[in-house]
Amino acid sequence: MKKLITLLFFSLGMIILSSCANEADPEADKRFFTKFYDNSNFNIAYTPLDVAQTSDGGYLVLGLKTVIVPDGGDVEPPVIYIMKTDEFGNFISDLDVPEGLRMPAPALLKVDGKFYFFCQTVNNSQSIQLMEVSEAGTIAQQVDIGGTYPLAAGVDGSSLLLLNLDLEGRQTIMSKVSTSGDILNAKGFNIGAADGGPYAPESAALEHVQRTGPQLPFYVGKTTNNLYYFNGIYNYSLSTVFTDLIADNPIGVVQGSNNKGGLSALLSLNGGKFATSRFNYGDNYILPAAALSINSPTKSSELGGNPFPELSPNATVRIINIKIDETDRVIYGSNTRGKQIALFGYNPADGTLAGSRYIGFSNSFELASLTPTADNGLLVLGTTYIAGRFPRICLFKLSAEALGKSFQ
Amino acid sequence: MKTKGSATERFLNKQFWLGFKAGVNLSSPLPQVRYSVLMPNNYDAARTNKTYQSFNKIGGQATLEVTFYYKGFSISAQPTYRTSRFTYFNEYTWTGGTAGQGLNLKFEQEQQLDYADLPLLVKYEFSQNKLRPFVQFGAYYSILVNATKGVTVSGTDNASGGINTFKNEPVVVGAKDLFTNNWGLIAGGGVNYNLGNVRLVFDVSYHLGMSNIADVKNRYANDRLSGIGDAQDDLKTNHLMFSVGCLFPLRFLSNDFKSLD
Repeated sequence: MKKLITLLFFSLGMIILSSCANEADPEADKRFFTKFYDNSNFNIAYTPLDVAQTSDGGYLVLGLKTVIVPDGGDVEPPVIYIMKTDEFGNFISDLDVPEGLRMPAPALLKVDGKFYFFCQTVNNSQSIQLMEVSEAGTIAQQVDIGGTYPLAAGVDGSSLLLLNLDLEGRQTIMSKVSTSGDILNAKGFNIGAADGGPYAPESAALEHVQRTGPQLPFYVGKTTNNLYYFNGIYNYSLSTVFTDLIADNPIGVVQGSNNKGGLSALLSLNGGKFATSRFNYGDNYILPAAALSINSPTKSSELGGNPFPELSPNATVRIINIKIDETDRVIYGSNTRGKQIALFGYNPADGTLAGSRYIGFSNSFELASLTPTADNGLLVLGTTYIAGRFPRICLFKLSAEALGKSFQ
Repeated sequence: MKTKGSATERFLNKQFWLGFKAGVNLSSPLPQVRYSVLMPNNYDAARTNKTYQSFNKIGGQATLEVTFYYKGFSISAQPTYRTSRFTYFNEYTWTGGTAGQGLNLKFEQEQQLDYADLPLLVKYEFSQNKLRPFVQFGAYYSILVNATKGVTVSGTDNASGGINTFKNEPVVVGAKDLFTNNWGLIAGGGVNYNLGNVRLVFDVSYHLGMSNIADVKNRYANDRLSGIGDAQDDLKTNHLMFSVGCLFPLRFLSNDFKSLD
């Protein structure tokens, strides 16, 4: 009997000791979180654009802030908004960038530990500005680099890539820009003759950058074969153009259909392949390991791909590659008709689906960007509609463990 | 030479009891570290804290009791299946530029947790009569079996052309991932009443939670809950439990199965 009682007490003691390990775990709270950044003002709307991780483990969010004027009035481009969070995603501070600066390219660029974005002055003269953002979320430097209407931006080593629209010259211009604001290389591509029609692609591009119309999938990047590419208005349609930024003519073009069809995202993979997606009059297709012919013109509508009817019409798509436990994965992020954010993981070697994950329930969610983190996690930045009506920034941090469960 | 009386006394000094108890419980959640999905950028973050309500929802439990009695003291193992419930709510208000325009929302959450409890107790009985008051102390370990959350959204909307007060039907979602096993201490008392060969028991015990019931690794894992702005706080829970039951002796004085004094 004594042995039995001793055994009972010993067993209870052991399991109690083992349960003591369930104390607050700040490391777990850093690795996986969900945050919605709220404002109690009924008339304020936020639009997130991009997020980057700072050296203190926190995050900088670039976005837009719109004050809805109840009695109407002139529609002005939204104010540029910068928010700083700590490593747990907790709100630290925010900044409304001064009034005269608007229309940011939707990319927060991290180069050598510093953060940059492009925007444009709108008061007396229109000129693109390169803005440096401090880790605390304040404006550290502003450099005028000229040009108008920044559409997209990216990083090329220690330099920046910029895509902008020159309406007067009727050109889409791709530039390589130093972090001090010097244009290192630039090449303009003709958007086509003006015909004055109401659906001209350049009008759509202008509405895109001023946020008065649908957002188009403009992007810039560089292939693994050191060729630059952009998705912009070329030859009177939304096209993906491959260029060496030296030759006047494109090396290759994937031609879209006006602004109703084209590629919606592109990521260069090893072996000359691409992870891409395309849209065509509302339909969406995913091509996780496409062999694009970059030296000759092709049409996006002829590329095929896996149709994704669950995605919203002309869905926003973001593609990144990440390593999950030393395994390469290409992650697609997009928006579903059910107002969730969908993540699909593919094996870049053969384009097979590795897994999927859906974010969001009850409220509506829309994707803005995907960003890998230093701890092999993934940041999913988006818009959520709190109470079904207030557009607010949301930030999901998925841990490496969660990514492994979903995509390995 | 041993007398019959002393032999009976010696016999009565020792007994095994086996029986069944059932009853109700009330719970009190105690937040240790607060978490929120909502991060305000223009109002106090404390406004996102959940307001917990204590001892307001009745749960139930069923217990198998095995007790060894020796000279007034008992060691008792009482494996229990327990369902506990508690509630909390958040309230948010958005106001606009137009006079009176605004929206108030209240998210009421009812938490139901099912556990297999493993308590081990030491009891002391104060008398040797038919009615025997006792006190008991011990510890328990709770193994999570299931968890659900029911969310009811209500509010007042005066931004849509009039004043609209509404209350939606509750949405119940599984929440087992958000919780984990835990342990605590027990203090309580009650009375035993010997009725013929059977012992009736009524006891009240207070369970003092000593460890976090939330699974710290899965705080935001439930998309359905985080999607409506709910993040699980680190919590300890205390419970007030009332039980009645009957116990049967396993040792008998004689062939007619008399076992009690």
